[in-house]
Amino acid sequence: MRVAFVLDGAPAELEAGEGEMLVDALRAAGRLSVRETCGIGVCGACAVIVDDEPVSACLMLAAQVDGRSVTTVEGLPDDDPVLQAFTQAHAAQCGWCTPGMVLTVKAMLADDPQIDRERAAEGLGGNLCRCGSYSRILDAVQLAAELTLKED
Amino acid sequence: MRWHAPADLEEALLLRGVHGEDVTVHAGGTFLGILMNQGLIAPPALLSLGRVAELRGIEVARGELRLGAMATHLAVERHPEVREGWPMLARAFGLVASRRVRAVATVGGVLADADYASDPPAALSALGARAILRGPGGERSVSIEELILGYYTTCIRPDELLVEVRVPPAPERAVYRKFVSRSSEDRPCVTVAAAHGAAGLAVVVGALAERPQRFDDLCAAAAGDLAAAGAREQLAQDYAARVEPIGDARGSAAYRRRVCAVEVRRALEALAA
Ligand SMILES: Cc1cc2nc3c(=O)[nH]c(=O)nc-3n(C[C@H](O)[C@H](O)[C@H](O)COP(=O)(O)OP(=O)(O)OC[C@H]3O[C@@H](n4cnc5c(N)ncnc54)[C@H](O)[C@@H]3O)c2cc1C
Ligand code: FES
Ligand code: FES
Repeated sequence: MRVAFVLDGAPAELEAGEGEMLVDALRAAGRLSVRETCGIGVCGACAVIVDDEPVSACLMLAAQVDGRSVTTVEGLPDDDPVLQAFTQAHAAQCGWCTPGMVLTVKAMLADDPQIDRERAAEGLGGNLCRCGSYSRILDAVQLAAELTLKED
Repeated sequence: MRWHAPADLEEALLLRGVHGEDVTVHAGGTFLGILMNQGLIAPPALLSLGRVAELRGIEVARGELRLGAMATHLAVERHPEVREGWPMLARAFGLVASRRVRAVATVGGVLADADYASDPPAALSALGARAILRGPGGERSVSIEELILGYYTTCIRPDELLVEVRVPPAPERAVYRKFVSRSSEDRPCVTVAAAHGAAGLAVVVGALAERPQRFDDLCAAAAGDLAAAGAREQLAQDYAARVEPIGDARGSAAYRRRVCAVEVRRALEALAA
């Protein structure tokens, strides 16, 4: 089926196969930051933002985004404050979980610009980092909050 | 796999009536997605309710809360009127999974999948909620206890859709407790939803058996004595003796029975405080 949606700010169309999950459709469209890992909605490595909310692309059918807007990390500008903060705080080891973390942090900061470390840890509870770089990721959230506030 | 995505409820009901069991209703797809990814199901056709705007509403009418079947967990958790009038329900929906799942998972989906390890069913049962089922023969209203029959089994007929959940005005006091045994976002091992008001005392224990457990006779006998610690402990022990727990990766049956006693007592303490 033909799916028409907005991908990273630009109109896009794709041909979704029967029962094709969004994660596979996005990878086929070149968005390799979207990574199926657990396939059961637990880890957050496949997170993308649909309209304004992060979702697991491994549990969403490509057909479900027809008429909606999808944002991946590849759609963020280089000077995005959250990306900047993750780089400056060295919050990635292997980097596998990073795209999902970044998008989740963006949504968290949109709701709670002055988020503290504890609330940030709670908000990232559904994003797993198998390298265990959680403390640096939480540093990055604090830095991202500062950079975002400065930007506004 | 055919993908039907009707734009309104009338068309959705029509398709459901015509195709019955040959189509699988697809709401948020978070439950179905796992089953499909793992190759456990391969439905020949999906009937998506994603475009049916009429089913997404959340409103208060004559003191009663009405949740459309396609309202998401996140929408329920964040809705100002739900937080104000039914804070226990907002909490129970807010404790489900992660924000990513709550953004997609729906009120209808979590009831219709009838997974035993869920949060909202026990909470809705304690609040006396009813599910509205609509089919070609019209509409019927069933209690949560009538709706959920057992493991992944409901009374929804193949030509019906769950369209709405109605929650009566909230009782004076209500609490929800979720006990997880593995990680913070895990599905529950044992949950307790308790409510006390004009309609009496209701205590519902979820996730420990194939369907939510409630013993109204025990509650009626104890309702007057909640101020007494001994009576609360007795009711908790009576619940633990009467439930028929299952054992799974989240805890053995014996473990769940002990957790049940502790969690029911703590819920009753919170009600009495
Ligand atoms: C990682 C993860 C963690 C989770 N943790 C929790 C937790 O802690 N607590 C908890 O309670 N739940 C938890 N869940 C379960 C989650 O709440 C359910 O997957 C979700 O509520 C199902 O809703 P859905 O809209 O996605 O349903 P779908 O997957 O679309 O459908 C579920 C079932 O209901 C049927 N159905 C859906 N809507 C209707 C309708 N209107 N009428 C008739 N039939 C219908 C479908 O045919 C299907 O059989 C978790 C899920 C995931 C993926
Ligand atoms: S791969 Fe989707 S949440 Fe883990
Ligand atoms: S940095 Fe390797 S998984 Fe998080």
